[in-house]
Amino acid sequence: MKKSQLVVSLAAALLLGACDGDDGAAGPAGAAGSDGAAGQNGASNLVTREDVVTTNANIAFAAYTDSLITAIDLRNSLADFVTSPSEQTLANARTAWLASREPYGQTEVYRFRVGPIDALLPDGTIGEEGDGPEGRINAWPLGEAIIDYVAPVVDGDSGPESPANTLGDNIIANVAEFPTITVDTLADSFEFGEDERNVTSGYHAIEFLLWGQDLNLDQTGAGPRDASGGQRPASDYFTTANGNTNACTSGPDDVPEQICQRRIDYLMAAADLLIDDLTAVANAWEPGVGAHYTAFVDGGDTSLARILEGMGRLGFGELAGERINIALTTDSQEDEHSCFSENTHRDIVLNARGIQNSYLASYTRVDGEVVEGASIEDLLVVEGFPELANELRASLEATMAATSVIDARARTGTPFDQLIQESVQQPNIVAVIQSLVNQTDDIEQAIEALGVTTNDLRQDTEEEINGGG
Amino acid sequence: MFSKRPEFILLGFLLLTLNACGGGSSDGGSQSIDPPVTPTPPSPPAQPTTDHSGLTPLSAEAPEPGESQSGGAATVQRDDEDAFSFRPDAVAQDFRLDANFTQGNFIFRSAHEDFGPLLNTSSCQGCHLNDGRGVLPNSPDDPFTSTLVKIGVTSGAPDPVYGDQIQTFSEQSFSTSDVTSGLPVFDGSLNGDELFGEAFTSIEFEAVNGTYADGTTYELRRPIYRFRDLSFGPFADDIQFSTRVSPQVFGSGLLEAIPQENIMNLVDEEDANGDGISGRPSIVEDFTTGETLLGRFSYKAQSASVLQQTIAAYRGDIGITSRFLPEENCTDAQIACQNAALRENQVGDDVDITDRELALVEFYTRTLAVPVRRGFDTNTNTFEENIVQGRRLFFESGCVGCHTPRHVTGELAGSTLGEVTITGLDPEAEPIEVLSNQTIYPYTDLLVHDMGGSCSITRETDAGLSCEAGSECLYVQRCEGLADDLIQGDVSGSEWKTPALWGLGLVQVVNANATFLHDGRARTIEEAVLWHGGEAQNARDQFTRLDSQDRQLLLAFLESL
Repeated sequence: MKKSQLVVSLAAALLLGACDGDDGAAGPAGAAGSDGAAGQNGASNLVTREDVVTTNANIAFAAYTDSLITAIDLRNSLADFVTSPSEQTLANARTAWLASREPYGQTEVYRFRVGPIDALLPDGTIGEEGDGPEGRINAWPLGEAIIDYVAPVVDGDSGPESPANTLGDNIIANVAEFPTITVDTLADSFEFGEDERNVTSGYHAIEFLLWGQDLNLDQTGAGPRDASGGQRPASDYFTTANGNTNACTSGPDDVPEQICQRRIDYLMAAADLLIDDLTAVANAWEPGVGAHYTAFVDGGDTSLARILEGMGRLGFGELAGERINIALTTDSQEDEHSCFSENTHRDIVLNARGIQNSYLASYTRVDGEVVEGASIEDLLVVEGFPELANELRASLEATMAATSVIDARARTGTPFDQLIQESVQQPNIVAVIQSLVNQTDDIEQAIEALGVTTNDLRQDTEEEINGGG
Repeated sequence: MFSKRPEFILLGFLLLTLNACGGGSSDGGSQSIDPPVTPTPPSPPAQPTTDHSGLTPLSAEAPEPGESQSGGAATVQRDDEDAFSFRPDAVAQDFRLDANFTQGNFIFRSAHEDFGPLLNTSSCQGCHLNDGRGVLPNSPDDPFTSTLVKIGVTSGAPDPVYGDQIQTFSEQSFSTSDVTSGLPVFDGSLNGDELFGEAFTSIEFEAVNGTYADGTTYELRRPIYRFRDLSFGPFADDIQFSTRVSPQVFGSGLLEAIPQENIMNLVDEEDANGDGISGRPSIVEDFTTGETLLGRFSYKAQSASVLQQTIAAYRGDIGITSRFLPEENCTDAQIACQNAALRENQVGDDVDITDRELALVEFYTRTLAVPVRRGFDTNTNTFEENIVQGRRLFFESGCVGCHTPRHVTGELAGSTLGEVTITGLDPEAEPIEVLSNQTIYPYTDLLVHDMGGSCSITRETDAGLSCEAGSECLYVQRCEGLADDLIQGDVSGSEWKTPALWGLGLVQVVNANATFLHDGRARTIEEAVLWHGGEAQNARDQFTRLDSQDRQLLLAFLESL
């Protein structure tokens, strides 16, 4: 291995800084910590596996609660916008949407581990992977063509996401089949016809209704890519009720006012459904009482395995694979995560940060408060793997550095959909993928070092299946 | 032989049975003349001590506990609407394999750049709904969206204008918000400028009534297909049609991993064992490797490998070209299609899909896990009694003559395209461990069998009047039995590959609108059993002679698969 004495002592120094007062059992301001009698080698030897699991659950509650709070802020901004639509109120709503993505992106490390986001049932109990609201909240690519009007030509492939079989026109225009648009309309039409292309709700539905398709500045869908997202006009929401009689549009076209009213209904229903779903997930993580919180905190090594598995699967398969590399190899704007708003760089940064949060057991809330406690890093040191603890810390930091480059590029005028183009800055993207590969190697080593396996986690469900037929 | 009158159909089956089985060992049914003088039936051949896989033959009475895990280690413990969509645990636990599956899934469910010009749908998932079966249209006025029609002339060659498949849509149906814009228009593409889907297929059903031996009646529905709105002029005079519902895809890698010699042990072309069943291999060339191999995939076993099937479906159904099939799906006669293809190729790569993307979809399709059996108690390690009884009836009725319950897999080599890495493709692929050396229960022999029946094609107007040409003059296909009359490779117009039965009871859990058999005519598993003919006539007749309770037991067993 590439380690030297220097690296190890550096690690110890870092840990001294990082773990001060961090004994997990008594919370961030714990009494003894590494400086106390129980401290050793810069880490608290009081940190147990149970402490790590508990902190992870506490952070989940904080991150999902932040997601809920910012979603409520978003709904308030949307309400202001549709009450008095203008370019200014539209801009405010877009800002609120972007803000709502910041905490949510950091919660995604709680996926892939049979947690509430993937497995929460409508009755508040935990079912199986796929039962949860994740798809309704964050599925992509969106089925935009079945929601609202789309341009005839786009950069990449758009809808119709599933033609003819079940649905006629897009939902906003289809008054006959959908006389009213409510939360139920959206929930019922999600993946209708058993077709996963038909994504009609969640963050990206709201994103589409605020930005519209990303047709680039020339608005043809065939021109050069640029730093602009979609350019939906505020007049798409003009109604008599909000003081704009006979001014309703669908992009470049004048349309009957009913369409704008239905678009408003859709937008607000999407926000309400998002809040319902996030509320349910946050409740399941509520310390002490949440259906999942209690079981998870008592879950021992299985829970520890879930944490590490979520970190590995989000970082590798989901982020490096599906969200970054697919977009890179297909070079398609439609295959980027937040394609309407050009916010994909934040999705990447925030997913990566969520993984780092899980390792360091630290999460900075939207209001600046820091929630922290017993970390996997501490645990690795306590259990005799200080080198690995440091190596994983470093590889996660390298990923954050690599993502900060594409974040900087995007903020200075070269967003993700340009970075994936062959002629532009692909090396920046490839560097993120490579760093995610490296960190996954280290996560695997941590799983091995701690001797935890996720086998039990899946076998749990076997017993529940009988008596079918 | 052809008759539109339903009551003659069963008689037709019966005659076929007599021809096909030549007085085999099964009992002749209620039609028998006086019994022979000697009351003892000819003694059956001695039971072999090992089966085609070298294992002790399965007992009809006592299921093995391992049967609950139909896919061996690649079984997933799910029985809900997502049951066909999971990765095996061994894939989920390995971050690299997990990433391959996740990316393959994304490509499988997403529209691919440069689809068309002609196509049936824009993504794999568009037909394999929820990774399960496609559906038939709700009405004769709705287009096929997850079902397609294979075509050919009587020799089995493609139609000179339309090729070997009707693509219902042209690209604008999927690249604009107007689905209907790419639907077929009569003679609409003859001018070479405007491109429309090739032809529109309507299905209507007529009732076929029958009666069980115990007097219970049943009703089947027989499809009548009408082909209209031909955009590129008429079909060949001797055109044949075969309607195919997209099948469920899980477990494909396991079927691919069964050693070919084990399947060949099941071949009985001359019916040497006198059971009325003469399984025959469909031997095809795998164009991805040039090898001549057993065909295992598609309804007439025309693909030897998952990769070959994937590549062919991408090109034929979606219009996605690859290094193996680099030409767009336009025949020489389809100028409007060729012109559209030229426009498409002005952007993007020379071919539409890369080897790496193909390898990802191949990995995904191969490793999609098989759902666990229901009705098995993991505490006592036993199946419910009605399922044990139903299984016995399934064995004793002769269904296992084609639906071979158990196989073992050999080592499944990794993709011939190479090992997928997060950014590329390495030359040497590792074998896929989770699919290798497994004992599996797919209930198929992967051989083709003559299932009886025949078809007629007429030119008629909507009103049923005979006609010769023109926009009102439709092609109408009516079939007796399961035949489609379409020859593919060396598989005849009444032969079909035995489909796997695993997951059968979850088909309508995964997609409530899904139906059974190659063309989706059977609304229930029971109807599917009743449609069996030809080599399966004996087994089907055994089923019709069971009393109501035994029929329910047998169906309960099938539902538990």
